[in-house]
Amino acid sequence: MPGLARDRMSLVDRLFAINWSFLLLLTMIAGIGFASLYSAAGGHFDPWAGKQMARFALGMAGLIVTAMIDIRIWRKLAYPFFGFVCLLLLWVELKGHIGMGAQRWINLGFMQLQPSELMKVATVLALARLFSGATPDDVRNPLFLLLPLGMIAVPVGLVLSQPDLGTALTILMVSGAMFFLAGVSYWMFGLALAGVAAAVPLSWMFLLRDYQKKRVETFLNPESDPLGSGYHITQSKIALGSGGITGKGFLEGTQSRLNFLPEKQTDFIFTLFTEEWGMVGGLGLMALFILLLAYGYVMAFQSQNQFGRLLSAGILSNFFFYIFVNTGMVMGLLPVVGVPLPLVSYGGTVMLSVLFGFGLFMSAYVHRDTKRQGMD
Amino acid sequence: MNAIPRPIENIRIAKSRMGFAVCLFLVGYLAVGLRLADLTLLRGGDGTAIHTPQKPAIAQSRRADITDRNGTLLASALEMAAAYADTTLIKEPSILANDIHAILPDENKDKLVKKLSSGKKFVWLRRDLTPKQEYALNALGSPAINFQSEDRRIYPAGALTAHIVGYTDIDGIGIAGIEKSFDASLRDKNAPLQLTLDLRVQHILRNALQKRMKEFSAVGATGIVMDVHTGEIIAMVSLPDFDPHKPGDAKSRQRFSTATLGVYEMGSTFKLFSTAAALEAKQVSFSTSFDTKEPIRYGRFSINDYHAKRRRLTVPEIFIYSSNIGTARIAQTLGETGLRDFYAKLGFFTPVPVDLPERGKPLYPRPWKDIHTLTGSFGHGIAVTPLHITRAAAALVNGGILVTPHIIKDNATSLSPVAQGLRVVSADTSEAMRKLMSLTVVEGTGGKAKAAGYDVGGKTGTAEKNIKGRYVRDKLISSFLAAFPMREPRYVVLASLDEPKPSKNSHGYATGGWTGAPVVGEVVAQMAPLYGIDPDFDADGMMTRGMEKYLKEGKNVAALSAHR
Repeated sequence: MPGLARDRMSLVDRLFAINWSFLLLLTMIAGIGFASLYSAAGGHFDPWAGKQMARFALGMAGLIVTAMIDIRIWRKLAYPFFGFVCLLLLWVELKGHIGMGAQRWINLGFMQLQPSELMKVATVLALARLFSGATPDDVRNPLFLLLPLGMIAVPVGLVLSQPDLGTALTILMVSGAMFFLAGVSYWMFGLALAGVAAAVPLSWMFLLRDYQKKRVETFLNPESDPLGSGYHITQSKIALGSGGITGKGFLEGTQSRLNFLPEKQTDFIFTLFTEEWGMVGGLGLMALFILLLAYGYVMAFQSQNQFGRLLSAGILSNFFFYIFVNTGMVMGLLPVVGVPLPLVSYGGTVMLSVLFGFGLFMSAYVHRDTKRQGMD
Repeated sequence: MNAIPRPIENIRIAKSRMGFAVCLFLVGYLAVGLRLADLTLLRGGDGTAIHTPQKPAIAQSRRADITDRNGTLLASALEMAAAYADTTLIKEPSILANDIHAILPDENKDKLVKKLSSGKKFVWLRRDLTPKQEYALNALGSPAINFQSEDRRIYPAGALTAHIVGYTDIDGIGIAGIEKSFDASLRDKNAPLQLTLDLRVQHILRNALQKRMKEFSAVGATGIVMDVHTGEIIAMVSLPDFDPHKPGDAKSRQRFSTATLGVYEMGSTFKLFSTAAALEAKQVSFSTSFDTKEPIRYGRFSINDYHAKRRRLTVPEIFIYSSNIGTARIAQTLGETGLRDFYAKLGFFTPVPVDLPERGKPLYPRPWKDIHTLTGSFGHGIAVTPLHITRAAAALVNGGILVTPHIIKDNATSLSPVAQGLRVVSADTSEAMRKLMSLTVVEGTGGKAKAAGYDVGGKTGTAEKNIKGRYVRDKLISSFLAAFPMREPRYVVLASLDEPKPSKNSHGYATGGWTGAPVVGEVVAQMAPLYGIDPDFDADGMMTRGMEKYLKEGKNVAALSAHR
């Protein structure tokens, strides 16, 4: 069996099996991030670009190591890892370091770990494990779905209590994508959507905090309060618009660099980039992302086992949600929910967890010919 | 389903679902991409958000100057330093306060100490420093004091043109007068905006008005000088006025532009228009006479005369003695709507079309009944702005064309004369009105408007103010509406005093003949030489020649005629 050859790959084989052109794409996108952070600091590597490069290097090393670990080992580790991250979330909940008004960080000394970011990868991993072990009939059975639903309820609840609506919604969306990819019937999605539609007014009244309501109101009409809660989005749109077609040029983005634009190095880095490089630059960056995802899906299709396919597609979907929510947010298409642009925004946890996710993805690719032995 | 092996079914499902998901994602990307193009190319479609950062642009290009017709500066933007302090850097507030007080002596020392020891990161010290003051403050060497340059609007003529030029708010946005109505072009253009005003005439008019205001203890005064052919406003004064640099300190009465915004029952000056209406309609001629012995009673109204002659008066006599009874009789010849239609033609029922934001809306009887023809003939029951009657008087004397008042000097309009306007009376009626106006100064109520050699003519008006629906006998609007030189009028001059009290010199009178007429005389005597109008002493009374036959008591006219 040709697959058996892959099952017994040497480390060197695996190293060569890694799709290096995919990693080159990742590096190009991260490079755009470095340049933007360099510009955000007014033409200095301090305080952001330098650190970001170091983290990227660390993350890439982690990615390669992760990719070389057998996919079957990752499959075994799926539940324990999920449990571990849940514990981390609980830990933050109980005794977190207060950052930005919400308890989201664990101080590791060299960096601050944000377990909720890691949770997205852990959820994908765990759901891939769960659905890969299920028969199509199981998946169509509503009662069977209670198990994964209960599983994701734990992290979603913990993240919501931080409170971090954006991440909670992202985890839900990623989980939804996993359910969808696993083959859950369309009518159940219809039902879920109807449920969400019904829940919106209820959560508005009982669940959402004032600042979250304000964000949604601001999203609906940012100009109503351009100096208050509409400030981010109004400034972001001004900066984007001021870039025009070809932009103001590298290091010339006045709106961003003169601090009109808050959080320019994190959530609003796309705005900074587009102000300086214009519509051409913005669409170019998005084209790179699309290229990465398209390439990724082609690679995911090649996986011969359900776990690998689900894992790969889940990781890619997660990545897509990051990009979609972030770019939509800075352009006023979606409410401001605090989701960074992966690989580009400044932030250690996101960088490392995204690269770890791609490590898992790459492991699935490296071990794509692994058949079902030991996979159930 | 069971026939299909599990892995194959899994692959089938996974592939179809993945394909579907990829499609959904592509739709998402498309939306984001379109939005990006929308924001960068079309700037989001909503201009409001994008216009916000324009404020620095305002500061960069300086607001354009405003000048009078001779290029004299009326408003200009000057870069000035503003000083502020970071009080956290101050060690000894009292010492620094002393030093600052030495440079800015009008700053209260105690308040300075309080301000400087407030612990605030930012307090204004002064926002309009002279270069010397800035230099001295800077030389104090205190790290706490910083400067910022600001554009300040300066009005060299001060209160003299305050009501017309207007003023801006602290951010340089025009909020009154020309500054408001031409705000956009003042911001965009660099060329100065030239007004039709002549600062010299403005000064003459204001001076003369202030003098009489004081003499008659009036609460306000209004004056307008207008070119009868072009409609250009040469001078326009509303008193009391205010310092445009500090509009916030002025009372609302001071900021109120009476000339264009105030609507008043102008009284007998309206006889100009009612008499013209009847002459134009050929209902009366100079030889027509009316009985003015008895007051006219109309329902509960009774129409009386101030300067009652108690006899039959000819039309010129009615005009120069300003007989209410006689004028009402003249107006009656016009029928039900004749007077109303004529007033409408003169623009008395709509705001004056002038390039100022302060435009008063006239009040007039609706519906117009017979009684309104009687009262309206001598200017009661209809309230218009002083600019309304000035404009209408210009039409009566310029040959009969109603011109549009101009405040912005526009060479196109000043070169092409009255042709653009609407004819309201014939040239014959215009000449007849000039004769009557001359006669009023030579023989009638307007004698005090005489300016030797300049051939002034006009009409007095004394109206009781209508306060809460009642006419108050000792609260008057006393005006004189004049033109000169009468042979070939070039300018209309209006002078009006608000609530003049009789003075010692006026023998107990506070009428238009005693208050407004001398202002006009003074303005004409000073203005005419500036405009190269030579005095022509032979011409005095030329317009009234031959008029004595219509007057029973025309001694002056007879004397002038005999002299020739």
